[in-house]
Amino acid sequence: MGGSGQNAGHEFLRVINLSFLNIRVRVKVRTINMRQVKKAIELNRDEGGLVRDSTQSNIEVKTVYTPQDIADIDYQRDIADPGCFPYTRGLYPKMYRDRLWLKSFIVSYATPEETNAAFKSYIVNGLNDLRLLADLPTQSGLDPDHPAAWNSMMCGGVATYAINVYEKMLEDLPLEGVTYELAHSNVLSSIYFHGLLAGIMEKQGLNIRDLRGNGICDPIRAKLVYASPDWTTEINRRVLLDHIEFCLDNTPKWKAIAPNGVDPCQGGMNAIHELGEVIAVCTSVIDDLEKRGRTVDDYGPMVVALDAESDFFETICKFRAARRMWAKLAKDRFRAKTARATQLKIGIRTSGLSLQLQKPLNNAARVTLQILSCVLGGINSLDASSIDEAIGLPSYEARMFNLDTQHIITHEANVPLVADPLGGSYYVEWMTDKIEKLTNDYLAEVESRGGIYACLESGWLNSVMEEDRLRVQTEKAKHQRLIVGVNSFLGEEGPINRAISDCSYKVPTEAKRHERVAEVKLFKASRDAVRLADCVRKLYLDTKTGANVSRAIIDGGKAGMTVGEVCGVVRLGYGLGYDPMDTIPTPDFVEAALKGRE
Amino acid sequence: MAKKTRILVAKVGCDIHERGALTMLNVFRDNGIEAIYTGRYQSEESVANAAVVEDVDIVSISDLSGSLVIICRKILSELKRLGADDIDVICGGIITKEDKEELTKMGVKGCFETGSPVEKTLDLIRELMAAKGS
Repeated sequence: MGGSGQNAGHEFLRVINLSFLNIRVRVKVRTINMRQVKKAIELNRDEGGLVRDSTQSNIEVKTVYTPQDIADIDYQRDIADPGCFPYTRGLYPKMYRDRLWLKSFIVSYATPEETNAAFKSYIVNGLNDLRLLADLPTQSGLDPDHPAAWNSMMCGGVATYAINVYEKMLEDLPLEGVTYELAHSNVLSSIYFHGLLAGIMEKQGLNIRDLRGNGICDPIRAKLVYASPDWTTEINRRVLLDHIEFCLDNTPKWKAIAPNGVDPCQGGMNAIHELGEVIAVCTSVIDDLEKRGRTVDDYGPMVVALDAESDFFETICKFRAARRMWAKLAKDRFRAKTARATQLKIGIRTSGLSLQLQKPLNNAARVTLQILSCVLGGINSLDASSIDEAIGLPSYEARMFNLDTQHIITHEANVPLVADPLGGSYYVEWMTDKIEKLTNDYLAEVESRGGIYACLESGWLNSVMEEDRLRVQTEKAKHQRLIVGVNSFLGEEGPINRAISDCSYKVPTEAKRHERVAEVKLFKASRDAVRLADCVRKLYLDTKTGANVSRAIIDGGKAGMTVGEVCGVVRLGYGLGYDPMDTIPTPDFVEAALKGRE
Repeated sequence: MAKKTRILVAKVGCDIHERGALTMLNVFRDNGIEAIYTGRYQSEESVANAAVVEDVDIVSISDLSGSLVIICRKILSELKRLGADDIDVICGGIITKEDKEELTKMGVKGCFETGSPVEKTLDLIRELMAAKGS
């Protein structure tokens, strides 16, 4: 096949994609034999050729890398063996031979019952890190009976408005010896739902010191990506520190914050800006903690969430660079004395944005490559997106495919047998170094603009994200970035692709939403009013006086305070209106509980 | 000179996915359309109201929570209530086959799934504007 001889008799055509219009203009380059021109099948050796000379984040790359490109890199200083500072090659000497990455994904369907059943079936098939989420209103600090909740109620997850729902969702699931992660968009959720997990454990007579996992709880991401309406950045930054201190003292296996680059990246930021944002948040957390008399050694390992994007090598090198950067920062800037404090644990969510509605079967290839990049990059926990993610919430089989892909990579491809198998590759080491340098330049700029919070407040971070996003949009439109099935290689969808689309999870009907609202109202009316009023007062006063709010949130949660009520009472403590959407009044029982205390 | 097409790009409720809305804002502006953005966390009432106050030709709703049917039905009825049902409604985001049928039936003039070529949207806007006689 191929060979110029086989082209004889065909018109030799070059296909140029002129624009996003999907109009393909054929330009005749050379005619070999006009005699056979009728209905000849066109064959072009160059069809589908590379259109880029730089990575997804526009890092220009050469055609080949040699020892000269890494001449400045010192093995002991910059790379070192796995398990050794600066952990470029991974945190543990034997890496996955000792312990595989945690297999994780968000499970959150419209009802707690469905979610509970799904968790159980996934656990049987290898899920060992439970990621919890809630519907969109809950993540905005709104209960289902808030008028603004209606159109997205039970969409994207369970309406986990209070402990009764959480207990149903987690029924028969272990709370000790299991890793939980809270993937919610806002700071309020990370603190409130940590409180519910701890509260349920206390109700069951378990020791909350055994609660293990993390919440994202990232105040920068909450505003930059989500513009979360619930709490202001001032509140977020303060209660985050309360939460970290509480966790250090009471739930030491729970990481109170996992700075998140996934969503800034999904919002448009390139890998450099994503990593820079994450490292800047880590740095600001330790800076803030030091002001409260805690050290980086008190804090221990840092946990972050990064995006696994489609660019294979860039993604791998981003993870390697991240570990190295934090190790150096912890040691040089924060004078870490313990090895633990220099370690960066990386949790992943693979890119949902990279997954396409068109020809969804192709998403299997995308997700597989992204998972592989995570394993080669030595990450610690992995939430892979599903092949039907662009269509709706993941269906059962799509989730199973995620787990099976990881099992195949482990047991058939034997990828995790050897730690950092790409270590020493001229290209990989050069790229790791390049990403570190570019990110450090970016961090210097963030610093010169007053730090990450100042960059958020001034809108500068948003402009960085927007500029990156626009660049990608423009490149796609100009066909400098090809997305298969979307702006190139369109093809036809057949029965397999259609079946994937048809199987995706559908949003709940309005009748189901009515039921939920009725349930919330009933629940609210069923609570112990005296106990509830005490909790409201305690949370309000702790907020107002600057005491640590964490215990008041746990006790409030146990007494049935809803996510919307915790949101509102803390707002009142800051002199803000109860309702972040400014549409409902302060509930009467809250008014009554706080009477005379303002 | 012909009046410029005016479009209100809107998001309703708690759906946080904004990339599609921002993308379309850029596309509209690059194509000589005056595009106004409501930002996130709006209500259907406030979107319809803004459409009237801003005197737009078209409201373009973006939503990735899967709830466009609920949102569009309410916006259409609000526009009608305000006597502004000459304003066309189009939408984009996560749309199932069933959604598309229902949206079309209720009077939404165009439904665009994620990743659909922006030229399709622009073509429809030209058609809608031609039908309005501008």
